[in-house]
Amino acid sequence: MNNPYLDLTDELNRGRLRALLSSGQAVVVHRLAIMSKDGDWILREDAEAVGHVLEALAGKGAQYRFGAPLDLRWLAGGWSAHLEFRREELRFRTDFVTRPPRIDAARLARMWADAEATGNQVVGVEPLAALKLTNRDKDYAVIGELARLMTDPRAQLLYSRSSRDLIELAEKYPEVLAEVVEQRPLLGQMADGREALDEALDRERRTFMRVNEERLGQYLTAAAAWREMWPEVQREIEGLPLPEAHAVVTSRAEGVLPFEPTSGGAS
Amino acid sequence: MRDEFLSEEDLDLRNLTEAELIAVWNLWLEQAQATNDLDAALYSHGVFDIDPAPHPSSRLGGQEPRKSN
Repeated sequence: MNNPYLDLTDELNRGRLRALLSSGQAVVVHRLAIMSKDGDWILREDAEAVGHVLEALAGKGAQYRFGAPLDLRWLAGGWSAHLEFRREELRFRTDFVTRPPRIDAARLARMWADAEATGNQVVGVEPLAALKLTNRDKDYAVIGELARLMTDPRAQLLYSRSSRDLIELAEKYPEVLAEVVEQRPLLGQMADGREALDEALDRERRTFMRVNEERLGQYLTAAAAWREMWPEVQREIEGLPLPEAHAVVTSRAEGVLPFEPTSGGAS
Repeated sequence: MRDEFLSEEDLDLRNLTEAELIAVWNLWLEQAQATNDLDAALYSHGVFDIDPAPHPSSRLGGQEPRKSN
């Protein structure tokens, strides 16, 4: 028996590693929970990868949803592209980014290098925890368990959501704690006890959520004109094969959806 | 005692064989189609929040809308 998201990941990576299964479906692969019916991939930021994905999805009769074109100019600005297709009675959503949030260029390069070395097509637990620092409460429960899967105490100290686990880690690895305390200020409160640490964890979570909301707010503002135009674009691409729909979406987005969310105006 | 984040049912995925995991996962995906109408315009990932014109096939449990005669 096969799983459609694992099969699609194989297909996207046929002949070359191009896509890492991320977010909710990666959480399933790490055997923590089944929480999402949509698929999310981190793509390599190159023309061949994007071309292969479009071809694979065209073969499935995929259609664009509102979003950025699957085009390097927008993907490099952190935008996400969203397509969906149906198979029998199931609806599959396929979401793509090349610049995942909270993953800097060096870490992203390491993720690709690790994936190449291991052949693992799924985002690992540590970068997955960083990706999950969203504005959704439920993601912090996942991070709490992801941290327990981490084997490096440094990573555990950076991502754990449990005051008990943190106190235990600090007692066991004081030298590691000293190394990472600057990266995570609440680790400096270890001596204040569980209650203080729990409050600090709550504050930290709310801060992460606000930071992500602000990040998304920039994209939503920058996409305002594109959102207004989308119903018309949607009508235009209705029934078109994906390659043609892609050409329409791309040409219509030019000058309306800025490549960088902070650049505003036309691109 | 330790802090709990996910349910025992969630964490029990660890005890499944690969085939059992795939079966549970696929069944979950199938059952989750029941909410297609409710989340037709919504996003789980990325930088967009609401689709201003969700495609009709996003709804109706993934079925193509039937043309009226």
